[in-house]
Amino acid sequence: MFNEYLLSFILILISLYGLCTSKNIIKSIVCLNILEISIILFFLRIFDVSGGSAPILPNELSSMVDPLPQALVITAIVIGASVTALALMLSIKVFHHYGTLDWKELLEREG
Amino acid sequence: MNINILLQLLLILIAVFIISSKDNLKIVISYSVFSLIAACLYFLYKAPDVALAEIAVGSAIVPLILILSISKQREFIVLNRLEDSFLEASDERSGIGYEILSEFCKYYGLKLKIYKKLPGKANGIFSHRNIDLIVEKHHLSRRYLFKGKESSILMYKLEKLAAPYEDIKVIKLEEGETDEQ
Repeated sequence: MFNEYLLSFILILISLYGLCTSKNIIKSIVCLNILEISIILFFLRIFDVSGGSAPILPNELSSMVDPLPQALVITAIVIGASVTALALMLSIKVFHHYGTLDWKELLEREG
Repeated sequence: MNINILLQLLLILIAVFIISSKDNLKIVISYSVFSLIAACLYFLYKAPDVALAEIAVGSAIVPLILILSISKQREFIVLNRLEDSFLEASDERSGIGYEILSEFCKYYGLKLKIYKKLPGKANGIFSHRNIDLIVEKHHLSRRYLFKGKESSILMYKLEKLAAPYEDIKVIKLEEGETDEQ
């Protein structure tokens, strides 16, 4: 009943819920990071072979995990970190311009 | 029970804690723990290179920049253009303006930073530096002028707080409005 696919899908849903309902901008950014990590978990679980070995010079090629998705995922991690840095810079600008970091107050200010 | 499923359940618990938490620093620290456990899971999925990148980036660099930006956001930067000791802070008698501003910052959980003179017009400084408030003295009416941005909610709160003081006037500058001084 406790499937690993199901659990990482639940994690994706939790982070989407947090992204939609959080009032604080910092919390939204952290929820974006959690969403990224849970999608990576889901992705790596798909390409995992039970009883296989890590893709580091194996004895027989048939038991090796495919290294291509892992190479793609490393790029995704680095891009996620830079997206976080950009979002935080924008949030500092928003705080000094509007004086608040609350989504609700920001929307009220904008009318 | 499989150890992968155990770690996944732990991740779900930490995610629920992050979403229900209100303190920014608690969120950052639990995010660091979250990404460490995720790195363990990557290792169990036979991706040790991804686990290494996740430990370096996810649990060290991202919390570091989060903490840096939180400490930058909680600042209230004031530019002091006065000659007298209205905004001076000392041990025995600090100025009235300093007391008002420090009380204001304490109430809203901000960190007060007062800088001395910088050249340039108010408008240019507002757009180039993250200055929240400029304090000046009007040369005719001898009143203290608190100049801030019209868009900021903090200015409305400061206006309410400074209402009982006779010699303080809060002016809210619009975006792009030039400061005649």
